Amino acid sequence: MASNGIRDRVAIVGMGCTAFGEHWDKSTADMLVESAGDAYRSAQVDPEQVDAYWLGTMGSGLSGLVLSEALKIQYKPVTHVENFCATGSEALRNACYAVACGAYDLVMAIGVEKLKDSGFSGLVVGSPAHDGARADITAPAIFSMLVPAYCKKYGVDEETLKDVISRIAWKNHANGAKNPKAQFRNEVPLEMIKASPSIAGMLGLFDCSGVADGSAAAIVCRAEDAHKYTDTPLFVKALSFVAGPSEGNKRQDYDFTTFTEVVASAEDAYKQAGITNPREEISMAEVHDCFTPTELVLLEDLGFSARGEGWKDVLDGRFDLDGPQPINPDGGLKSFGHPIGASGLRMMYEMWLQFRGEAGERQLAAPKLGLTHNLGGGPGSCVSFVSVVGK
Amino acid sequence: MSDATPAVQRPAPHGSRDSAFFWEGCRRGVLMGQRCADCGAWRHPPRPMCPHCQSVEREEVELSGRATLYSWAKPVHPPLPMFEPGYLIALVDLEEGQRMLSNLCDVSPEAIEIGMPLEVFFVETAEGGAVHQFRPRQAS
Ligand SMILES: [Zn+2]
Repeated sequence: MASNGIRDRVAIVGMGCTAFGEHWDKSTADMLVESAGDAYRSAQVDPEQVDAYWLGTMGSGLSGLVLSEALKIQYKPVTHVENFCATGSEALRNACYAVACGAYDLVMAIGVEKLKDSGFSGLVVGSPAHDGARADITAPAIFSMLVPAYCKKYGVDEETLKDVISRIAWKNHANGAKNPKAQFRNEVPLEMIKASPSIAGMLGLFDCSGVADGSAAAIVCRAEDAHKYTDTPLFVKALSFVAGPSEGNKRQDYDFTTFTEVVASAEDAYKQAGITNPREEISMAEVHDCFTPTELVLLEDLGFSARGEGWKDVLDGRFDLDGPQPINPDGGLKSFGHPIGASGLRMMYEMWLQFRGEAGERQLAAPKLGLTHNLGGGPGSCVSFVSVVGK
Repeated sequence: MSDATPAVQRPAPHGSRDSAFFWEGCRRGVLMGQRCADCGAWRHPPRPMCPHCQSVEREEVELSGRATLYSWAKPVHPPLPMFEPGYLIALVDLEEGQRMLSNLCDVSPEAIEIGMPLEVFFVETAEGGAVHQFRPRQAS
Protein backbone atom coordinates (compact mmCIF):
# COMPACT_ATOMS: atom_id res chain seq x y z
CA MET A 1 0.00 0.00 0.00
CA ALA A 2 1.44 3.33 -0.99
CA SER A 3 1.00 6.32 1.28
CA ASN A 4 3.50 8.77 -0.09
CA GLY A 5 2.55 11.84 1.87
CA ILE A 6 3.17 15.49 0.99
CA ARG A 7 5.98 16.33 3.41
CA ASP A 8 6.81 20.05 3.35
CA ARG A 9 4.80 20.66 0.18
CA VAL A 10 2.01 22.72 1.76
CA ALA A 11 1.81 25.19 4.61
CA ILE A 12 -0.84 26.69 6.84
CA VAL A 13 -0.58 30.47 6.54
CA GLY A 14 -3.58 31.67 8.53
CA MET A 15 -5.93 30.33 11.18
CA GLY A 16 -8.97 31.37 13.14
CA CYS A 17 -10.88 29.81 16.00
CA THR A 18 -13.94 30.89 17.95
CA ALA A 19 -14.19 30.45 21.68
CA PHE A 20 -15.75 27.02 22.31
CA GLY A 21 -18.69 26.71 24.66
CA GLU A 22 -22.40 27.34 24.96
CA HIS A 23 -23.13 29.82 22.19
CA TRP A 24 -26.88 30.17 22.61
CA ASP A 25 -26.59 33.59 20.96
CA LYS A 26 -24.81 32.39 17.79
CA SER A 27 -25.92 30.29 14.85
CA THR A 28 -23.79 27.87 12.84
CA ALA A 29 -23.43 30.61 10.21
CA ASP A 30 -22.35 33.18 12.81
CA MET A 31 -19.58 30.89 14.04
CA LEU A 32 -18.42 30.14 10.47
CA VAL A 33 -18.25 33.86 9.70
CA GLU A 34 -16.22 34.46 12.85
CA SER A 35 -13.60 31.72 12.37
CA ALA A 36 -13.30 32.32 8.61
CA GLY A 37 -12.95 36.06 9.16
CA ASP A 38 -10.20 35.50 11.72
CA ALA A 39 -8.43 33.15 9.30
CA TYR A 40 -8.61 35.65 6.38
CA ARG A 41 -7.19 38.38 8.61
CA SER A 42 -4.53 36.06 10.01
CA ALA A 43 -3.28 35.25 6.49
CA GLN A 44 -3.88 38.84 5.37
CA VAL A 45 -5.92 37.72 2.37
CA ASP A 46 -9.22 38.85 0.89
CA PRO A 47 -11.95 36.23 0.61
CA GLU A 48 -11.72 36.63 -3.20
CA GLN A 49 -8.19 35.17 -3.10
CA VAL A 50 -9.33 31.82 -1.69
CA ASP A 51 -9.91 29.37 -4.53
CA ALA A 52 -11.77 26.52 -2.81
CA TYR A 53 -13.18 25.45 0.55
CA TRP A 54 -13.54 22.25 2.58
CA LEU A 55 -16.25 22.37 5.21
CA GLY A 56 -16.29 19.81 8.03
CA THR A 57 -19.47 19.31 10.01
CA MET A 58 -21.06 16.12 11.25
CA GLY A 59 -24.54 17.31 12.10
CA SER A 60 -24.88 21.05 11.66
CA GLY A 61 -25.96 20.97 8.05
CA LEU A 62 -25.57 19.25 4.73
CA SER A 63 -23.70 20.26 1.59
CA GLY A 64 -21.31 23.09 0.77
CA LEU A 65 -24.21 25.52 0.95
CA VAL A 66 -23.86 25.61 4.75
CA LEU A 67 -20.62 27.52 4.20
CA SER A 68 -21.26 29.32 0.92
CA GLU A 69 -24.50 30.78 2.25
CA ALA A 70 -22.87 31.85 5.52
CA LEU A 71 -19.84 33.49 3.86
CA LYS A 72 -21.63 34.51 0.64
CA ILE A 73 -19.02 32.63 -1.37
CA GLN A 74 -19.32 33.52 -5.02
CA TYR A 75 -19.47 30.41 -7.21
CA LYS A 76 -16.48 28.51 -5.87
CA PRO A 77 -16.04 24.86 -4.97
CA VAL A 78 -17.14 24.02 -1.41
CA THR A 79 -16.80 20.38 -0.38
CA HIS A 80 -18.65 19.10 2.65
CA VAL A 81 -16.77 16.32 4.46
CA GLU A 82 -17.79 14.17 7.40
CA ASN A 83 -15.77 11.57 9.32
CA PHE A 84 -17.30 11.43 12.82
CA CYS A 85 -15.32 13.32 15.46
CA ALA A 86 -12.32 13.52 13.09
CA THR A 87 -14.35 15.60 10.62
CA GLY A 88 -12.31 18.79 11.04
CA SER A 89 -9.04 16.97 10.42
CA GLU A 90 -10.52 15.34 7.33
CA ALA A 91 -11.45 18.77 5.95
CA LEU A 92 -7.86 19.92 6.46
CA ARG A 93 -6.37 16.79 4.92
CA ASN A 94 -8.37 17.11 1.73
CA ALA A 95 -7.71 20.84 1.47
CA CYS A 96 -3.96 20.18 1.78
CA TYR A 97 -4.03 17.53 -0.94
CA ALA A 98 -5.90 19.82 -3.32
CA VAL A 99 -3.15 22.41 -2.95
CA ALA A 100 -0.34 19.85 -3.13
CA CYS A 101 -1.61 18.49 -6.44
CA GLY A 102 -1.66 21.98 -7.94
CA ALA A 103 -5.38 22.22 -8.54
CA TYR A 104 -5.66 25.36 -6.38
CA ASP A 105 -3.27 27.99 -5.01
CA LEU A 106 -5.02 29.00 -1.81
CA VAL A 107 -7.76 27.09 0.03
CA MET A 108 -9.59 27.07 3.33
CA ALA A 109 -10.46 24.16 5.61
CA ILE A 110 -13.14 25.07 8.13
CA GLY A 111 -14.99 23.04 10.72
CA VAL A 112 -18.09 23.83 12.73
CA GLU A 113 -20.57 22.19 15.06
CA LYS A 114 -23.59 23.43 16.97
CA LEU A 115 -24.37 20.86 19.67
CA LYS A 116 -25.72 22.65 22.70
CA ASP A 117 -29.21 23.30 21.40
CA SER A 118 -29.71 19.86 19.82
CA GLY A 119 -32.12 18.96 22.65
CA PHE A 120 -30.06 16.00 23.89
CA SER A 121 -27.16 15.76 26.30
CA GLY A 122 -23.98 14.40 24.76
CA LEU A 123 -22.84 13.68 21.25
CA VAL A 124 -25.63 12.35 19.12
CA VAL A 125 -24.88 10.49 15.94
CA GLY A 126 -27.72 10.34 13.48
CA SER A 127 -26.87 6.90 12.15
CA PRO A 128 -28.77 5.66 9.16
CA ALA A 129 -31.68 3.49 10.18
CA HIS A 130 -30.84 -0.17 10.58
CA ASP A 131 -32.95 -3.14 11.51
CA GLY A 132 -32.12 -3.18 15.20
CA ALA A 133 -29.91 -6.27 15.11
CA ARG A 134 -26.84 -4.09 15.54
CA ALA A 135 -26.76 -3.13 19.21
CA ASP A 136 -25.71 0.42 20.07
CA ILE A 137 -24.01 1.67 23.19
CA THR A 138 -23.39 5.12 24.66
CA ALA A 139 -19.94 6.62 24.04
CA PRO A 140 -18.98 6.81 27.74
CA ALA A 141 -19.98 3.16 28.24
CA ILE A 142 -17.86 1.78 25.41
CA PHE A 143 -14.87 4.00 26.28
CA SER A 144 -15.18 3.01 29.96
CA MET A 145 -14.22 -0.52 28.93
CA LEU A 146 -10.66 0.68 28.30
CA VAL A 147 -10.15 0.95 32.07
CA PRO A 148 -10.65 -2.64 33.28
CA ALA A 149 -8.91 -3.95 30.15
CA TYR A 150 -5.81 -1.84 30.79
CA CYS A 151 -5.77 -2.77 34.48
CA LYS A 152 -5.98 -6.45 33.70
CA LYS A 153 -3.38 -6.50 30.93
CA TYR A 154 -0.73 -4.54 32.79
CA GLY A 155 -1.50 -5.58 36.36
CA VAL A 156 -2.47 -2.09 37.53
CA ASP A 157 -5.09 -1.96 40.28
CA GLU A 158 -8.22 0.06 39.57
CA GLU A 159 -7.55 2.53 42.38
CA THR A 160 -4.18 3.43 40.84
CA LEU A 161 -5.71 3.74 37.40
CA LYS A 162 -8.39 6.06 38.79
CA ASP A 163 -5.50 8.25 40.02
CA VAL A 164 -3.98 8.14 36.53
CA ILE A 165 -7.10 9.14 34.62
CA SER A 166 -7.97 11.77 37.22
CA ARG A 167 -4.52 13.26 36.76
CA ILE A 168 -5.14 13.48 33.00
CA ALA A 169 -8.35 15.41 33.68
CA TRP A 170 -6.54 17.60 36.21
CA LYS A 171 -3.76 18.38 33.70
CA ASN A 172 -6.14 19.22 30.87
CA HIS A 173 -8.22 21.44 33.12
CA ALA A 174 -5.06 23.20 34.34
CA ASN A 175 -4.04 23.82 30.71
CA GLY A 176 -7.52 24.97 29.73
CA ALA A 177 -7.51 27.43 32.62
CA LYS A 178 -4.71 29.22 30.75
CA ASN A 179 -6.69 29.34 27.50
CA PRO A 180 -9.05 32.25 26.90
CA LYS A 181 -10.94 30.30 24.19
CA ALA A 182 -11.56 27.13 26.23
CA GLN A 183 -15.04 26.06 27.34
CA PHE A 184 -13.89 25.28 30.90
CA ARG A 185 -11.30 27.73 32.15
CA ASN A 186 -10.91 26.60 35.71
CA GLU A 187 -8.46 24.35 37.47
CA VAL A 188 -10.22 21.48 39.23
CA PRO A 189 -8.75 19.88 42.36
CA LEU A 190 -7.81 16.21 41.99
CA GLU A 191 -10.05 15.22 44.89
CA MET A 192 -13.07 16.81 43.22
CA ILE A 193 -12.29 15.00 39.97
CA LYS A 194 -12.02 11.66 41.75
CA ALA A 195 -15.23 12.22 43.68
CA SER A 196 -17.35 13.27 40.67
CA PRO A 197 -20.52 11.26 39.95
CA SER A 198 -20.34 8.25 37.65
CA ILE A 199 -21.25 8.63 34.00
CA ALA A 200 -20.44 5.04 32.98
CA GLY A 201 -18.29 2.39 34.62
CA MET A 202 -15.27 4.05 36.25
CA LEU A 203 -15.71 7.24 34.24
CA GLY A 204 -16.85 10.16 36.34
CA LEU A 205 -18.16 13.50 35.14
CA PHE A 206 -14.65 14.96 34.92
CA ASP A 207 -13.41 12.07 32.79
CA CYS A 208 -15.64 13.23 29.91
CA SER A 209 -14.92 15.97 27.40
CA GLY A 210 -16.97 19.12 27.10
CA VAL A 211 -19.89 19.26 24.68
CA ALA A 212 -19.57 22.61 22.97
CA ASP A 213 -20.42 24.84 20.02
CA GLY A 214 -17.56 26.27 18.00
CA SER A 215 -15.72 26.69 14.72
CA ALA A 216 -12.09 26.77 13.55
CA ALA A 217 -10.51 27.47 10.15
CA ALA A 218 -7.16 27.21 8.36
CA ILE A 219 -5.85 28.73 5.13
CA VAL A 220 -3.45 26.55 3.18
CA CYS A 221 -1.09 27.26 0.25
CA ARG A 222 1.88 25.62 -1.45
CA ALA A 223 5.06 25.70 0.65
CA GLU A 224 6.95 27.88 -1.83
CA ASP A 225 4.24 30.56 -1.61
CA ALA A 226 3.94 30.50 2.16
CA HIS A 227 6.17 33.47 2.91
CA LYS A 228 4.01 35.70 0.71
CA TYR A 229 1.41 35.49 3.46
CA THR A 230 3.34 35.19 6.72
CA ASP A 231 6.84 35.11 8.15
CA THR A 232 5.97 32.10 10.27
CA PRO A 233 4.06 29.51 8.25
CA LEU A 234 3.31 26.07 9.67
CA PHE A 235 4.53 23.33 7.34
CA VAL A 236 2.69 20.04 6.99
CA LYS A 237 5.01 17.05 7.46
CA ALA A 238 2.44 14.26 7.44
CA LEU A 239 -1.29 13.61 7.16
CA SER A 240 -2.65 10.12 7.73
CA PHE A 241 -6.19 8.87 7.89
CA VAL A 242 -7.43 5.30 8.32
CA ALA A 243 -10.81 3.65 8.82
CA GLY A 244 -10.86 0.22 10.48
CA PRO A 245 -13.00 -2.82 9.65
CA SER A 246 -15.19 -2.15 12.71
CA GLU A 247 -14.88 -5.64 14.13
CA GLY A 248 -13.72 -4.91 17.66
CA ASN A 249 -17.12 -5.48 19.22
CA LYS A 250 -17.57 -8.68 17.28
CA ARG A 251 -14.20 -10.42 17.48
CA GLN A 252 -12.80 -12.12 20.53
CA ASP A 253 -9.19 -11.17 19.77
CA TYR A 254 -9.66 -7.43 20.37
CA ASP A 255 -8.61 -6.53 23.91
CA PHE A 256 -9.61 -2.85 24.46
CA THR A 257 -6.10 -1.67 25.40
CA THR A 258 -5.33 -0.16 21.99
CA PHE A 259 -6.97 1.52 19.03
CA THR A 260 -5.56 -0.51 16.15
CA GLU A 261 -6.64 2.28 13.79
CA VAL A 262 -4.50 4.79 15.70
CA VAL A 263 -1.47 2.52 15.58
CA ALA A 264 -1.87 2.21 11.80
CA SER A 265 -2.32 5.95 11.19
CA ALA A 266 0.59 6.85 13.49
CA GLU A 267 2.88 4.42 11.72
CA ASP A 268 1.85 5.89 8.37
CA ALA A 269 2.30 9.49 9.56
CA TYR A 270 5.71 8.81 11.10
CA LYS A 271 6.87 7.21 7.88
CA GLN A 272 5.68 10.21 5.86
CA ALA A 273 7.45 12.61 8.24
CA GLY A 274 10.60 10.53 8.68
CA ILE A 275 10.08 10.09 12.42
CA THR A 276 11.61 7.03 14.07
CA ASN A 277 11.34 7.92 17.76
CA PRO A 278 8.13 9.85 18.47
CA ARG A 279 8.78 9.93 22.22
CA GLU A 280 11.88 12.03 21.61
CA GLU A 281 11.12 13.76 18.32
CA ILE A 282 7.58 15.07 18.92
CA SER A 283 7.79 18.21 21.06
CA MET A 284 4.08 18.46 21.85
CA ALA A 285 0.79 16.91 20.79
CA GLU A 286 -2.92 17.52 20.78
CA VAL A 287 -4.60 14.13 21.17
CA HIS A 288 -8.24 13.06 21.15
CA ASP A 289 -8.99 12.98 24.90
CA CYS A 290 -12.75 12.43 24.51
CA PHE A 291 -12.54 10.48 27.78
CA THR A 292 -9.50 10.38 30.07
CA PRO A 293 -8.64 6.68 29.49
CA THR A 294 -8.66 7.43 25.74
CA GLU A 295 -5.73 9.79 26.28
CA LEU A 296 -3.88 7.13 28.29
CA VAL A 297 -4.25 4.52 25.54
CA LEU A 298 -3.38 7.07 22.82
CA LEU A 299 -0.08 7.89 24.55
CA GLU A 300 0.95 4.28 23.96
CA ASP A 301 -0.63 3.92 20.51
CA LEU A 302 1.20 7.05 19.33
CA GLY A 303 4.51 5.78 20.71
CA PHE A 304 4.93 8.49 23.37
CA SER A 305 5.04 5.79 26.06
CA ALA A 306 6.03 2.14 25.91
CA ARG A 307 3.18 -0.40 26.14
CA GLY A 308 2.00 -0.69 29.71
CA GLU A 309 4.13 2.28 30.80
CA GLY A 310 1.86 5.20 29.90
CA TRP A 311 0.20 5.27 33.32
CA LYS A 312 3.59 5.75 35.02
CA ASP A 313 4.57 8.55 32.62
CA VAL A 314 1.27 10.31 33.39
CA LEU A 315 1.88 10.12 37.15
CA ASP A 316 5.49 11.28 36.64
CA GLY A 317 4.24 14.46 34.94
CA ARG A 318 5.87 13.68 31.60
CA PHE A 319 2.88 15.11 29.72
CA ASP A 320 2.25 18.20 31.87
CA LEU A 321 2.64 21.67 30.37
CA ASP A 322 6.05 21.95 32.05
CA GLY A 323 7.02 18.33 31.36
CA PRO A 324 9.28 17.01 28.60
CA GLN A 325 6.41 16.20 26.18
CA PRO A 326 3.30 18.32 26.81
CA ILE A 327 0.04 16.70 25.70
CA ASN A 328 -3.03 18.84 25.07
CA PRO A 329 -1.39 22.12 26.03
CA ASP A 330 -4.59 23.97 25.04
CA GLY A 331 -6.75 21.92 27.43
CA GLY A 332 -7.82 19.27 24.91
CA LEU A 333 -11.36 18.11 24.26
CA LYS A 334 -11.67 17.81 28.04
CA SER A 335 -11.49 21.50 28.70
CA PHE A 336 -11.43 23.33 25.34
CA GLY A 337 -14.67 21.50 24.46
CA HIS A 338 -15.62 19.26 21.56
CA PRO A 339 -17.72 20.78 18.77
CA ILE A 340 -17.23 17.75 16.57
CA GLY A 341 -16.52 19.22 13.12
CA ALA A 342 -14.29 21.95 14.57
CA SER A 343 -12.14 19.89 16.95
CA GLY A 344 -9.51 18.68 14.49
CA LEU A 345 -8.87 22.23 13.32
CA ARG A 346 -8.89 23.48 16.93
CA MET A 347 -6.03 21.04 17.62
CA MET A 348 -4.14 22.49 14.67
CA TYR A 349 -4.89 26.01 15.96
CA GLU A 350 -2.84 25.25 19.06
CA MET A 351 0.05 24.09 16.85
CA TRP A 352 -0.29 27.35 14.91
CA LEU A 353 -0.11 29.45 18.08
CA GLN A 354 2.70 27.46 19.67
CA PHE A 355 4.97 27.53 16.61
CA ARG A 356 4.42 31.27 16.20
CA GLY A 357 5.05 32.02 19.87
CA GLU A 358 1.48 33.26 20.33
CA ALA A 359 0.25 30.77 22.93
CA GLY A 360 0.44 33.21 25.83
CA GLU A 361 0.62 31.59 29.25
CA ARG A 362 0.77 28.17 27.60
CA GLN A 363 3.75 28.97 25.38
CA LEU A 364 6.27 26.14 25.15
CA ALA A 365 9.96 26.73 24.56
CA ALA A 366 11.13 26.13 20.97
CA PRO A 367 8.90 23.26 19.79
CA LYS A 368 10.43 21.34 16.87
CA LEU A 369 7.63 19.04 15.71
CA GLY A 370 4.00 18.96 16.76
CA LEU A 371 1.38 16.24 16.33
CA THR A 372 -2.40 16.28 16.24
CA HIS A 373 -4.43 13.13 16.70
CA ASN A 374 -8.17 13.00 16.04
CA LEU A 375 -10.38 9.94 16.59
CA GLY A 376 -13.89 9.23 15.33
CA GLY A 377 -15.92 6.33 16.75
CA GLY A 378 -14.90 4.19 19.71
CA PRO A 379 -12.75 1.26 20.77
CA GLY A 380 -13.04 -1.51 18.19
CA SER A 381 -14.75 0.65 15.60
CA CYS A 382 -13.20 3.95 14.62
CA VAL A 383 -11.44 6.22 12.17
CA SER A 384 -8.14 7.85 13.11
CA PHE A 385 -6.23 10.88 11.88
CA VAL A 386 -2.63 11.81 12.68
CA SER A 387 -0.80 14.88 11.46
CA VAL A 388 2.76 16.04 12.02
CA VAL A 389 3.56 19.74 11.57
CA GLY A 390 6.51 22.01 12.17
CA LYS A 391 8.60 24.89 10.94
CA MET B 1 -56.72 5.67 31.65
CA SER B 2 -55.33 3.11 34.01
CA ASP B 3 -53.89 4.14 37.38
CA ALA B 4 -50.97 1.77 37.04
CA THR B 5 -47.64 3.33 36.12
CA PRO B 6 -46.65 1.74 32.84
CA ALA B 7 -43.58 -0.43 33.22
CA VAL B 8 -40.51 0.58 31.26
CA GLN B 9 -40.60 -1.57 28.18
CA ARG B 10 -38.15 -2.00 25.37
CA PRO B 11 -39.38 -0.98 21.94
CA ALA B 12 -39.82 -3.91 19.61
CA PRO B 13 -36.93 -4.63 17.24
CA HIS B 14 -37.69 -3.29 13.77
CA GLY B 15 -36.54 -6.41 11.99
CA SER B 16 -36.00 -6.76 8.28
CA ARG B 17 -36.00 -9.65 5.83
CA ASP B 18 -32.31 -10.16 6.58
CA SER B 19 -32.70 -10.34 10.34
CA ALA B 20 -36.19 -11.86 10.57
CA PHE B 21 -34.78 -15.30 11.50
CA PHE B 22 -32.79 -13.74 14.36
CA TRP B 23 -35.76 -11.97 15.94
CA GLU B 24 -38.01 -14.93 15.30
CA GLY B 25 -35.42 -17.01 17.20
CA CYS B 26 -35.60 -14.57 20.11
CA ARG B 27 -39.36 -15.02 20.25
CA ARG B 28 -38.86 -18.82 20.31
CA GLY B 29 -36.17 -18.52 22.97
CA VAL B 30 -33.28 -19.52 20.72
CA LEU B 31 -30.19 -17.43 19.92
CA MET B 32 -29.54 -17.63 16.20
CA GLY B 33 -26.39 -16.87 14.26
CA GLN B 34 -25.70 -16.28 10.58
CA ARG B 35 -22.78 -17.95 8.88
CA CYS B 36 -21.42 -17.84 5.34
CA ALA B 37 -22.23 -21.17 3.71
CA ASP B 38 -19.09 -20.96 1.56
CA CYS B 39 -16.25 -19.73 3.80
CA GLY B 40 -17.90 -20.34 7.16
CA ALA B 41 -17.33 -16.82 8.57
CA TRP B 42 -19.87 -15.72 11.19
CA ARG B 43 -21.51 -12.36 10.72
CA HIS B 44 -23.72 -10.19 12.87
CA PRO B 45 -25.86 -8.23 12.31
CA PRO B 46 -27.30 -10.46 9.59
CA ARG B 47 -26.81 -9.27 6.02
CA PRO B 48 -27.13 -10.78 2.58
CA MET B 49 -23.49 -10.99 1.47
CA CYS B 50 -20.32 -12.29 3.10
CA PRO B 51 -17.79 -9.42 3.60
CA HIS B 52 -14.92 -11.88 3.25
CA CYS B 53 -15.76 -13.93 0.15
CA GLN B 54 -18.78 -12.10 -1.35
CA SER B 55 -20.87 -15.24 -1.28
CA VAL B 56 -24.61 -14.80 -0.86
CA GLU B 57 -25.01 -18.40 0.29
CA ARG B 58 -25.79 -18.32 4.00
CA GLU B 59 -26.82 -20.51 6.88
CA GLU B 60 -28.96 -19.70 9.89
CA VAL B 61 -27.61 -21.68 12.81
CA GLU B 62 -28.92 -22.28 16.32
CA LEU B 63 -26.26 -21.19 18.81
CA SER B 64 -25.74 -22.75 22.22
CA GLY B 65 -26.47 -19.50 24.03
CA ARG B 66 -23.46 -20.17 26.26
CA ALA B 67 -20.92 -17.37 26.60
CA THR B 68 -18.34 -15.87 28.92
CA LEU B 69 -18.23 -12.27 30.10
CA TYR B 70 -15.53 -10.27 28.31
CA SER B 71 -16.28 -6.80 29.70
CA TRP B 72 -19.14 -4.84 31.20
CA ALA B 73 -20.13 -1.36 32.26
CA LYS B 74 -22.93 0.39 34.09
CA PRO B 75 -24.00 3.41 32.06
CA VAL B 76 -25.50 6.13 34.25
CA HIS B 77 -25.76 9.18 32.04
CA PRO B 78 -27.50 10.02 29.79
CA PRO B 79 -30.58 8.13 30.97
CA LEU B 80 -32.38 6.34 28.16
CA PRO B 81 -36.17 6.18 28.39
CA MET B 82 -36.41 2.54 27.27
CA PHE B 83 -34.09 1.22 29.99
CA GLU B 84 -34.64 0.94 33.75
CA PRO B 85 -31.86 2.92 35.48
CA GLY B 86 -29.14 0.62 36.77
CA TYR B 87 -29.02 -1.56 33.67
CA LEU B 88 -25.71 -3.15 32.77
CA ILE B 89 -24.20 -3.59 29.35
CA ALA B 90 -21.96 -6.52 28.56
CA LEU B 91 -19.62 -7.69 25.86
CA VAL B 92 -19.98 -11.45 25.79
CA ASP B 93 -17.82 -13.98 24.01
CA LEU B 94 -20.04 -16.68 22.55
CA GLU B 95 -19.01 -20.31 22.70
CA GLU B 96 -19.02 -20.40 18.89
CA GLY B 97 -16.33 -17.69 18.69
CA GLN B 98 -18.19 -14.43 18.06
CA ARG B 99 -18.42 -11.46 20.39
CA MET B 100 -21.76 -9.77 21.02
CA LEU B 101 -23.00 -6.64 22.78
CA SER B 102 -25.95 -7.25 25.09
CA ASN B 103 -27.22 -6.63 28.62
CA LEU B 104 -26.11 -8.42 31.76
CA CYS B 105 -28.96 -9.26 34.13
CA ASP B 106 -29.73 -11.07 37.40
CA VAL B 107 -26.40 -10.23 39.01
CA SER B 108 -25.26 -7.43 41.30
CA PRO B 109 -22.23 -5.44 40.14
CA GLU B 110 -20.25 -6.65 43.17
CA ALA B 111 -20.68 -10.27 42.12
CA ILE B 112 -19.55 -9.79 38.52
CA GLU B 113 -16.31 -11.41 37.47
CA ILE B 114 -14.67 -11.06 34.08
CA GLY B 115 -14.74 -14.44 32.38
CA MET B 116 -17.74 -15.68 34.33
CA PRO B 117 -19.93 -18.19 32.46
CA LEU B 118 -23.14 -16.70 31.08
CA GLU B 119 -26.24 -17.98 29.37
CA VAL B 120 -28.69 -16.30 27.07
CA PHE B 121 -32.30 -15.64 28.00
CA PHE B 122 -34.97 -13.52 26.40
CA VAL B 123 -37.20 -10.68 27.55
CA GLU B 124 -40.40 -9.49 25.96
CA THR B 125 -40.52 -6.11 24.31
CA ALA B 126 -43.45 -3.95 23.28
CA GLU B 127 -45.62 -5.35 20.49
CA GLY B 128 -44.87 -8.98 21.34
CA GLY B 129 -41.21 -8.93 20.34
CA ALA B 130 -38.29 -10.37 22.29
CA VAL B 131 -34.63 -9.46 22.75
CA HIS B 132 -31.68 -11.50 23.93
CA GLN B 133 -30.06 -10.86 27.33
CA PHE B 134 -27.39 -12.67 29.32
CA ARG B 135 -27.25 -13.81 32.97
CA PRO B 136 -24.88 -15.95 35.04
CA ARG B 137 -25.03 -19.53 33.82
CA GLN B 138 -26.87 -21.94 36.08
CA ALA B 139 -24.84 -24.99 37.04
CA SER B 140 -26.13 -27.88 34.96
ZN1 LIG C 1 -17.75 -16.12 3.02
